[in-house]
Amino acid sequence: MSVIIQADGLCRNFGGLQAVDSVSFSVNEGEIFGLIGPNGAGKTTLFNLITGLTPVSSGSFSYQGRAITGLPPHRIAGQGIARTFQNIRLFKGLSVLENVRISQHACTRTGLFSGILGLPASRREEREVEEKAWEILKLIGLSGRAAELAGNLAYGDQRRLEIGRALALQPKVLLLDEPAAGMNAAEKQSLTGFIREVRELFHVTMLLIEHHVPLVMGLCDRILVLHFGSMIALGDPAAVQQDQAVIEAYLGAE
Amino acid sequence: MEGFLQNYGFLLVTLLQQSLLAFSLYFPLMAGQLSLASPGFYALGGYIAAIMSTAPECTPLREKLGTGIYPLEWLAAGLISGVLALVIGISALRLRGIYLALATIAFVEILRVICLNLEITGGAIGIFDIPQLFAERWSYGLIFGPLLLLTLLFVYRLENSRTGRALKAIREDELAAGAMGIHTTYYKVLAFVIGAVLAGIVGAMSAPFLNTWNARQGTFDASISYLAYVLIGGSRSMWGPLLGAVLLASLPELLRPLKDARLIINGMVLVVASIYLPQGIVGALGRLKRCVVKNTSPMGGER
Amino acid sequence: MYTGEYLQNILNGISIGSVYAIFALGYTLVFSILGIINFAHGAVFTLGAYLTYSLAVGHFGIGGLLADMQVPFRLSFPLSLLLGSLLSGVFGVLIERCAFRPLRLRGADPLLALVSSLGVALVTINVIQYLVGSEIYSFPSEVYGDIRPAFTFQRGDTTIVLRTVQLIIFAVNMTVLVLLRYLISCTRVGKALRAVAENSSTASLLGINVDRFILYTFFLSGFLGGMAGGLVGTSFGIAGPYFGVSYGLKGLAVIVLGGLGSIPGAVLGGMVIGLAEAFVPSDYSAYKEAVAFAYLFTMLLICPRGLLGRATIEKV
Repeated sequence: MSVIIQADGLCRNFGGLQAVDSVSFSVNEGEIFGLIGPNGAGKTTLFNLITGLTPVSSGSFSYQGRAITGLPPHRIAGQGIARTFQNIRLFKGLSVLENVRISQHACTRTGLFSGILGLPASRREEREVEEKAWEILKLIGLSGRAAELAGNLAYGDQRRLEIGRALALQPKVLLLDEPAAGMNAAEKQSLTGFIREVRELFHVTMLLIEHHVPLVMGLCDRILVLHFGSMIALGDPAAVQQDQAVIEAYLGAE
Repeated sequence: MEGFLQNYGFLLVTLLQQSLLAFSLYFPLMAGQLSLASPGFYALGGYIAAIMSTAPECTPLREKLGTGIYPLEWLAAGLISGVLALVIGISALRLRGIYLALATIAFVEILRVICLNLEITGGAIGIFDIPQLFAERWSYGLIFGPLLLLTLLFVYRLENSRTGRALKAIREDELAAGAMGIHTTYYKVLAFVIGAVLAGIVGAMSAPFLNTWNARQGTFDASISYLAYVLIGGSRSMWGPLLGAVLLASLPELLRPLKDARLIINGMVLVVASIYLPQGIVGALGRLKRCVVKNTSPMGGER
Repeated sequence: MYTGEYLQNILNGISIGSVYAIFALGYTLVFSILGIINFAHGAVFTLGAYLTYSLAVGHFGIGGLLADMQVPFRLSFPLSLLLGSLLSGVFGVLIERCAFRPLRLRGADPLLALVSSLGVALVTINVIQYLVGSEIYSFPSEVYGDIRPAFTFQRGDTTIVLRTVQLIIFAVNMTVLVLLRYLISCTRVGKALRAVAENSSTASLLGINVDRFILYTFFLSGFLGGMAGGLVGTSFGIAGPYFGVSYGLKGLAVIVLGGLGSIPGAVLGGMVIGLAEAFVPSDYSAYKEAVAFAYLFTMLLICPRGLLGRATIEKV
């Protein structure tokens, strides 16, 4: 098993607040890697650091052995790291189909003029984009609503579409930020199955932020626990559950 | 027919020209970027054409090329506008939000003051007696018309291409677009440059059409007019700028009897339209159509 | 450059810079609360200038609907300025009601607020033009009453002129700044305003009536814009209703230079641009109008945050 993401001493502070404090870990290829911690522990910030949306204060990380610290978000995404957002950031005014077409941007090449002139290469590529988009819509069960505006979908469907949009990027690593937030028990159950299915189909490594403990424990191979920006535990679900520091962080030290 | 063209030729050509200028602002807006630079590039293009047509230094060139000088003027205007837009765009478009609008306001004002003071641009008087390409006013439709058709075709193809999708994604959510692998700065600059090239070419075509060219051609007021065309027509459809420009640019003609109150009404139209037609006329028509379709379709309602 | 000339330039620069500062404060207040630039601010400036003029001087020119009309009373200059600014403040509230509130309630695209405020500006300026015509109005020196219109000093060969109105402008600027500073950092209203600026939905959860504080802000902004207009009107005359537009654009340069949304930044930006304009050599005076925009442009290139602005962090 080879390491796909390696983080070394990642730090980020906002003013005086140390949101992420020297966090180091490595993620193996094909693994589902959980990130848990109380609110404000720095989980989303960590995702933002990895995807380049927030610059790191210090530390570095590498992807497939190459350093990618400091690259702009689109370059990081282009190399195969896709993500979803905690507060769902779909292209709400565009159709469902358009959403999954757009994120194939990085794996296609048609330029301005060949697109306008409709050159053969661009037409071929356009067909492939179309096919791929439908394939993904079928997978996420939204092919019947392809023409609808993304913003008009039900909440759970928006979450699925966001995962679909990230998958259209053909990523090697997928970062899911609280995918089950706001879902009911049945939806959570089906999401768990869906995430497993995605891993099988796309051979994708996943980093998962989630509050719902049973879901995390059931899905993840390993779990990293953050507390006030610092790492307090890292290990398989059973070990983390027994960890004294984790129990204290969640229940409050007695 | 002859009489109609005599009477309304100037208006018709003006409508074509204003539609083109509306599109020059529509391109950056496709990527959600508000640029008020179009009058600047329009003025610049016009000056380039006027200078090439009148300056004594260019006489040998004119003699050699004959009417071929005009396409050369368009080319030069488009090229210079494009390069300038590249420089402005790269610096202003790294930033999100209102910064492009502010930078373009500054650009239009600086250019205006410079043109008011340089000798080559004729100072406050400007450049006059620009040689005509056609004998009749309406004949200018023969260059503006095809350019507009070409632009429409360009926009139509663009909207359904990879580049167009990238622009729309940036308009919807710039941060998410970046996270989906779209080089946001590149596409924002691209859209801005396309708009600038178009405005420059339109300026170069307009200089002979209007016969004189001065610093009043590129002002903040003109920026507002073009913006109004696009937003009131509808900024989310390629038919918006066209419809908006045709309606609003013929408004002064229709309101001619009102004279002084014209601009007051223009202003009220802006306020009312931005409140009641947030998606522009085209957007409102689209909603209306969807409503009608829903109510008459066999699936909807009980019948 | 002789020291005398130098001193004179500094004097003129600080004076005009003070006006820019007062004007820009109005812009920046609205921006800090709503994150939107109120393009009708230049029109408020125009309105303030004409209101002050009509209250203090009271007869209108030859163009426009009010041609040759007289206002039946005269107020002293300080009173006219104050009343003119207050009325401009009320107009600022009106702008908020017409152009911003309907859009805000619907959560519309901020671009639309820009267009609607431009629309209001267009209407205001043209209504003013319709009423008072487009000729130049200048304040007669009698408006100051018994006070001398100018003081002169001899320095070497040059005579330095300090016009009374420059003194007034500077004094007003300082007073406004101190009062605003006090209002924002020491009063309950100021605390509420800061809370609204930080996060309006949280502020409303805390029981702050956000709508009311937005109205206060627009009143304050209109008051300052109108006052700047009145001061410029007395100092240089009113160059037609459209003169507010060019000040409006210059004000944008000031707030970007100082840092969008920063109050001390607006003052600093105003001073910098005022001084920069005053020091343009007379051979190049035709380019003076472009100075502010050159600064705006350069600032965007080097440091878009402005001199005193703070970095904004977008929440993901």
